[in-house]
Amino acid sequence: MSLLKTRTAKAKLVRLVVAGVVVCLTFSAAAQSPTASKGRTARVNHTVKRAAAARPINAEELQGLLKRDGNHPLLVNYWATWCDPCRDEFPDLVKIDEQYRAKGLDFIAISLDDLADINTAVPKFLREMKATMPVYLLNVADPEPAINSVDREWGGALPATFLYSNKGEVVYKHFGRIKADELRAAIEKLLGSRQEQ
Amino acid sequence: MKKLHLISLMIALVAIAIAGNARTIAADIPAPPAIGATIVDFTLPDVDGTNHSLNSLKGKNGTILIFIAVQCPVSNAYNERMEKLAQDYQARGISVVGINANSTEPAADVKAHAAEKHLTFPILKDNGNKIADALGATRTPEAYFLDANSKLVYHGRIDNSRDISQVNSTELRDALEATLAGKPVAKTTANAFGCSIKRVE
Repeated sequence: MSLLKTRTAKAKLVRLVVAGVVVCLTFSAAAQSPTASKGRTARVNHTVKRAAAARPINAEELQGLLKRDGNHPLLVNYWATWCDPCRDEFPDLVKIDEQYRAKGLDFIAISLDDLADINTAVPKFLREMKATMPVYLLNVADPEPAINSVDREWGGALPATFLYSNKGEVVYKHFGRIKADELRAAIEKLLGSRQEQ
Repeated sequence: MKKLHLISLMIALVAIAIAGNARTIAADIPAPPAIGATIVDFTLPDVDGTNHSLNSLKGKNGTILIFIAVQCPVSNAYNERMEKLAQDYQARGISVVGINANSTEPAADVKAHAAEKHLTFPILKDNGNKIADALGATRTPEAYFLDANSKLVYHGRIDNSRDISQVNSTELRDALEATLAGKPVAKTTANAFGCSIKRVE
């Protein structure tokens, strides 16, 4: 390969990368804007922490979020601001998120609050908790299909917590307020077995 | 002697390991009875401490058991709807019985709450959540409709939304109407989000 050819290839590559970055930035800006701007005055700089806002999702989008790509295990907590044990356990979940995120654990929190609370009670609570995990609000007229698609044993009692392996299998679940030690043990076991593979 | 201690310690460790393993996947709450199963008579105290059997409270055409709560906002969103159910179906031979199985809510609180919210149907206190366990109840509100022969014909939510303006499917009422008309119940179970029943530790 001649020097000239390599240079052109390099230049092409650089252009591609730049284009890619631009596209990514555009998309992420577009994705951010609905939650950040809707019904509020411009407060762009206040949305630095991811989870100050929750994004509404439907049942299909929930299914998409639960799918695993084979890389990371996933912890999912279903909660609501009106649910006392959910509020009680949230500080433990924030700690667990901080502790295991760098070790490869994905964590999402799914709020079952009313859509009317998405810009008020929900972000207020998340800010109080200093929560930074991605938070979604399940907005469905009929909760039955969503509950059944998550787990046949779950009747919809809140809170509910599920731990999925990187292959998407449920390896641990708990209905009601979590026992933090038990959940940590399940996470450790999962992360440990993943590293051995 | 030392050896014996070591052996018992090892047995204990194995037992803990097995128990711990089982817990990782299985929820601690027993599964609910299957639709069509007969619900065995039970006795629980009301909010004044007087015992009542299920048989003594059941309606001639059936009985609705509803696990309810004092503090749960979802259960509270249904207070008027539950009272209306009791009023609407009393004359048609179906009774409503509330059950409070929350260990965090003593009988006195349940009594005061019922008075404040004008709940006139009997409310039983399930101390130690024995009946919640027997029925596999996990949340409030959660309803069980038993026919005249105490067979479970419907288990689940009252309707699809705690916000009454969003209600567009009324599974419990549909089950009552079908049963009163001598028809099979079309939808025998339906789930909804609710508060966890606070069981004894």
